[in-house]
Amino acid sequence: MLELRPILSALWRHKISALLIALQLGLTLAIVSNASVVIKERQERIARPTGVAEADIVTAHFMPIPKDYDMLEAFRLDMDMIRQLPGVAAATISRAPLTGSGSSSGFHTKPHQEVGSTGAANFRVDEHFIDALGMKLVAGRNFTPDEIRMMESNSSERPTKTIITQQLADTLFPEGNALGKPIYFGGEDNPMEIVGIVERNLGPWPNSSIAGNTVFFPAIMDNQWYDYIVRAEPGQRDAVLKLLEEKLAERDADRVINVETLEEQKTRYYAGDNTMIKVLSGVVSLLTFIVALGIVGLTVFWITQRQKQIGVRRALGATRLAISRYFLLENLMIAATGIVLGVATAQIFNKFLASEFGQPALPLSTTLICAFILLAVSVAAALVPALRAANISPAMATRSV
Amino acid sequence: MIGYYVSLALRSLRRTPILSALMVAAIAVGVGAAMTTLTLNYMMSRNALADKNEVLYALQLDNWDPHEAADNPSEMPWQLTYKDAISLLRSDIPTYQVAMHRWGGPVTLEDSTVRPYTAQARVTSRDFFALFDIPFIYGGTWAKEADSNAVFQIVINEATNEKLFNGENSVGRTINFNGTPFTVVGVIGNWSPSPKVHDLNNGSFQKSAELFIPFGLHRTFEIQPWGNTNGWKPEKIESYEDGLGAEYVWVQYWVQLDSAEQRQRYEDYLTGFIREQKDQGRFPRPLKFGLSKPSEWLVLNEVVDGDDRMLSWLSLAFLLVCLVNAVALLLAKFLRKAPETGVRRALGASRSAVFSQHLVESGCIGLAGGLIGILLTLAGLALIRQLSMGYMDSVASMDWLMMLSAIGLAILSSLLAGLYPAWRISRTNPSIYLKTQ
Repeated sequence: MLELRPILSALWRHKISALLIALQLGLTLAIVSNASVVIKERQERIARPTGVAEADIVTAHFMPIPKDYDMLEAFRLDMDMIRQLPGVAAATISRAPLTGSGSSSGFHTKPHQEVGSTGAANFRVDEHFIDALGMKLVAGRNFTPDEIRMMESNSSERPTKTIITQQLADTLFPEGNALGKPIYFGGEDNPMEIVGIVERNLGPWPNSSIAGNTVFFPAIMDNQWYDYIVRAEPGQRDAVLKLLEEKLAERDADRVINVETLEEQKTRYYAGDNTMIKVLSGVVSLLTFIVALGIVGLTVFWITQRQKQIGVRRALGATRLAISRYFLLENLMIAATGIVLGVATAQIFNKFLASEFGQPALPLSTTLICAFILLAVSVAAALVPALRAANISPAMATRSV
Repeated sequence: MIGYYVSLALRSLRRTPILSALMVAAIAVGVGAAMTTLTLNYMMSRNALADKNEVLYALQLDNWDPHEAADNPSEMPWQLTYKDAISLLRSDIPTYQVAMHRWGGPVTLEDSTVRPYTAQARVTSRDFFALFDIPFIYGGTWAKEADSNAVFQIVINEATNEKLFNGENSVGRTINFNGTPFTVVGVIGNWSPSPKVHDLNNGSFQKSAELFIPFGLHRTFEIQPWGNTNGWKPEKIESYEDGLGAEYVWVQYWVQLDSAEQRQRYEDYLTGFIREQKDQGRFPRPLKFGLSKPSEWLVLNEVVDGDDRMLSWLSLAFLLVCLVNAVALLLAKFLRKAPETGVRRALGASRSAVFSQHLVESGCIGLAGGLIGILLTLAGLALIRQLSMGYMDSVASMDWLMMLSAIGLAILSSLLAGLYPAWRISRTNPSIYLKTQ
């Protein structure tokens, strides 16, 4: 079939060069496919629904200057003012999710349990939080205004009601009857009745193992650890942000105010993952580029070296197509060898990354897709030199060297 | 001879510009990628307290949950409870000792145009500056009693002094911190170790504090730390005082022990302290404490995270691909000159002469690749700084050592890449080429 035999024998004479190209392709495949799974996993993690209307939310944090500052009063006045602002859909006092900062506790379904708790982030909220965060209540009800307790920061008062996320409900009550059941802090006997279940909330640490386990308590404390969470009407976010900064300072200049969009906070939280995605994408494209350069370089070299033979073949009646086909086939065989090498190397490399760094397993399909793309790149890289080879004139045969 | 080989190499590079450029590019990109990640790892694993590595110790006490160890490689909480810190501060064994944590608050200055801003502060005992060898520009640390009583004295860093007092000697002046007037007692030079060995709890590469206030102020401000507070024991907390007495850990503790004998005495003291606490029903776990040198502390806290180490492996693999590429290209390039080499061999050049001449040529390619690689590394680091949104500013930069390493790596790898091709060409059989000529 075709000119496989002459190709093979020609390759055999250049076995080291051919092997080097194959080796290069194989290593590249191993790196590229492993980088791809990591990129894919990070992208999926960042793209997970957060359960909140992150695109429309602006958060404001303030720090009072006088030592004896009435926080609860400030919360009340600020909220009244904010809710009147144009473009504001809803506002609440709580802590912003997705920021990497918050608190968590272990929870149990029975009192006096000290071991084996389920970790969950917790937020103290008022009755506006579901609306302001743009969350969805899937069972039960929201807190009523009279359930919200305004507390001093050192109060030991325990909440008696709670709203939790569906994910936490499923974890704590696998039979699926969480609504109305009590949950307990580790070791304590104070029941907190689940009055509502929200669809989703990733909590403060989307990358942690407890992300999505979130508990809300109907209480506000008079300390600094609160944010105002303001949901703007669609498209109004940036206008609301500016207005918020102005109006908060205007209402009380005696404080330092930091206003930010929730999207900015989320981007900052994921900065490490985003860096990883971009760096790995850069690695993938650079490597592919370098391999392509290597193939172009070597094909050009081989063709120049064999100019005379090509001339002879042309003189003996080989068509241009046959000449190009010869080089493309040669390239394809090298690439195929490289890819077989690469599929194996990729798996070995992946085992190492998985055991050492807990990276995701590499499915064969990903390796094959990457292999296919690399094959296409290598054929494309060989194409130009191969087409140029076809232009070598039969007269070359008559020249010496 | 080398000089002649170098000129030969340059001539040869000029003759095959495309192939040479490809090789230089391959090595440059490989070196750039490898050096970018290696630089990050190198900068991250630096020990900012190396000067005092043999005498400083981070202290850990295992007063955790009887049912399970603390969830980290040391199996002990990273921080101490407030009450333990206060008790330990009374010991006179260590040369210096500090109990501290991160905090912050608004700063204002009366009759000043400086807008109120939120400053990062460190609440710490007075030995802090001596223990970490922080130089004072003006003044010094606060009074001894400030470690246990409310004393409104403050130490500020150079940048804050510049901002608030135009860099003048501000000792004796007043600034308002958290709505309270404080007297400036000292100004330190800008001190921002990276990684922040003294506090790895709040981001290892964040900026250090701008203000330093005494440890005796907790009750005055009812200070809640800006950092991790962890607990395991359910306790009734009715007041701030209850919080201070609780089993929550949130205080970082360092000691300076100058001799083995002093360390032994301190270990005995800690053992005695824990036994005493056990008698009172605390410290339910087996008796265990940790004294880690800064270098050990960095490793224990896993400052260089998995992503960074993974990237290093990946970029070394990347460099390997670039090297294989360079070997293939060098082989092609050298073999092309086989006829010429045949003639030289026939005229009496020894195999080793041919070999070293070609190795010099690979070295030249490596040098060029290395220089461009440094530029690529600088670009790569700039990119990392931008992508990481400020978290990496202090580590994504290159020092002279790393630049030299980049060139070294480039030359070493190109010499390695050149070994086989140079050997191949030195084995050229002159007779074949003489025949056709």
